[in-house]
Amino acid sequence: MRFNHWNLRHDLLNLVPISYTWLEQPYNQKGFYLSALVLIFGDVSMSMSEELVKAIVELDEGKAVELARKRLETEDPLNILNDLTKAANIIGEKYEKGEFFIADLVMAGEILKAVSDMAREKLKALGKRREVIGRFVIGTVEGDIHDIGKNIVVTMAEAAGFEVIDLGVDVPPQKFVDAIKQYNPDIVGMSGLLTLAIDSMKKTVDAIKEAGLRDKVKIIIGGGRVDKYACEYVGADAWTNSAAEGVKIMLKWIEEKKMR
Amino acid sequence: MAMEPIDEWIKRHEKEPEEVAKEKLNRFLKAVELKVPDRVPIAGAAGDFLCSYTGITWYELSYSLTDKVENAVLKFVHDFPSDWPILLVPMMLEGFALALAFAEFPDFSNIIRFLTGPLHDVLKDKWSKWPGRELRDNMHPQFLGGEFMKPEEYKQLIDNPVEFMNQVILPRVCEGLGKPGSSKWNGAWIRAGIAMQKVIAFQINLFTAIAKAGYPIIPLGTNAYAPADVIGDFLRHPTGAMLDIRRYPDNFKAACEALVDPILKVATAVPPTPPVPLFFIPLHLNEMLPPKLYNEFYWPYLKRIIETLVSKGYKGFVIFEGDHSPHVDTLLELPKGWGIGWFERPKDFIKIWEKLKGHTIVMGGVPTTLLSGGTPQQIDEYVKNLLNKIKPEGGFIISPSIGELPAGTPPENVRAYINAALKYGTY
Repeated sequence: MRFNHWNLRHDLLNLVPISYTWLEQPYNQKGFYLSALVLIFGDVSMSMSEELVKAIVELDEGKAVELARKRLETEDPLNILNDLTKAANIIGEKYEKGEFFIADLVMAGEILKAVSDMAREKLKALGKRREVIGRFVIGTVEGDIHDIGKNIVVTMAEAAGFEVIDLGVDVPPQKFVDAIKQYNPDIVGMSGLLTLAIDSMKKTVDAIKEAGLRDKVKIIIGGGRVDKYACEYVGADAWTNSAAEGVKIMLKWIEEKKMR
Repeated sequence: MAMEPIDEWIKRHEKEPEEVAKEKLNRFLKAVELKVPDRVPIAGAAGDFLCSYTGITWYELSYSLTDKVENAVLKFVHDFPSDWPILLVPMMLEGFALALAFAEFPDFSNIIRFLTGPLHDVLKDKWSKWPGRELRDNMHPQFLGGEFMKPEEYKQLIDNPVEFMNQVILPRVCEGLGKPGSSKWNGAWIRAGIAMQKVIAFQINLFTAIAKAGYPIIPLGTNAYAPADVIGDFLRHPTGAMLDIRRYPDNFKAACEALVDPILKVATAVPPTPPVPLFFIPLHLNEMLPPKLYNEFYWPYLKRIIETLVSKGYKGFVIFEGDHSPHVDTLLELPKGWGIGWFERPKDFIKIWEKLKGHTIVMGGVPTTLLSGGTPQQIDEYVKNLLNKIKPEGGFIISPSIGELPAGTPPENVRAYINAALKYGTY
């Protein structure tokens, strides 16, 4: 039903004598017309927002970038960033349902990053900042230098509204401890592909405990060899094989933290 | 304290190694023919655990072709006996691109299929990093791959994959080689030959010693690769390959098509070798692709390679990395008994088994994380349960989910795995 509604609005928008090209004019000149349009047709920016979200979720790179570029000429970049969050959520759900695979996340990550870079650049030019929903420190643990998975997580977490501090690869336990002291994150993510990463994750969690910081952060581990046994062994709060699911877990934690 | 089954088996290895080796070979051959052996064959696992247990470093396991390493490996296979120890000594990493670059040389294309530390020292390739070199002594050697080909170069790859690998990619990736045909290039290949000779001499000694300790020699016969993984691992990086499939689908497919023949050339350079004429393929992009892309860009080319080799008398040994469940039905398109499928971490191992039993020899079943993080009781219970569900059908090899156990794995857990398989594995 929601979808039909969207189509209808989309068609109506196309019928409006003022075409998309018109929208490319400077914002201040058409603010009045735009609000009039909104009055007549409801929330027009909503449908454009849905169009962008749809293009991203359908992994249509060209269309998504083009839509974002057009909207950024007139619209608040924060709207675009919020759309990225929506898209990232849907992508996460699709991954969880088994509809999306890593190749899809990689493509989605590319699109999210491209659009996010454009929006952030504009945001900076306007002297604005996006409110972050939480702070997240992540790194590939000591002894492991693989980062495909970690990089997807970084993009997805940023899209979801997290401020991400990426410590890179082969990160020793002490560096995680120092980063927790320095940045005071809500969540710490440990990534690794090799089996040895499990041991490094355990050492890192132990080091965080020893530093008396374990209660200050939630810890999530991720990577190809990670599972529930690894999670118990390591002493993390959650585990995931998927960046999207990981970000979902993190969002839940932030919600819970707010409730407290 | 009563002797456990593993202790009895160790004793037999010491007393009658030849008899034990014969039993192992028969067991393995039966399983590979999808028949019921006397007991489920047990595959071993090494990795970090081999180093930590025997007190050698990753540097030594990669570079030191000495008695110290040989003795460590012998101690390891003595203390943790198995029917099929899968040992990479010295440590080896992916290097199939090298085999492809020399596909026209059947006398050594297969020998240069893996990267070793000594070979890495000569080539100075950017694909891999090694302990005592780019990494600390106690760090696992790591294959990273990278982006060494631009999307615009697909045409060159398609036109002549072997020449492109040899003349364009190798000089780009391997700083030790210099320009093709230069004296640096020629000298480096002579050095590479010498390095490989040393490694082979060491391996012959080592495997003779292992054979004397009660192990049949079941070599990884010959080697092949999935065309899409050649692109992902050696040319475009997995991330790049996954994007190319969407951005340049026609080029990607044409490149896979062009790679089939050279891969088969490398694989058939070694004739089917008894006792089991295995060809080895590790899959990498498989689990990352949605079925639609897998069925269009990955499987058709891999399937042709497997089918061709099976028709020539080889048997597959394919590692299905990650969770292969979404694609498992496609395996039924292969002829019955085509080979061994080692499944790393399918969502539901029993489902894989139910689907493939009597068709594919299924290997795996025991999560390495359970072995490293569980207790002996948990492991015993798990293996008992697993084997209850899988027997009495043949064609199964029990194995850790991947051949590498982390350093901190308690030795009593690995013993518990072997013990349980011995106890509950008899048919």
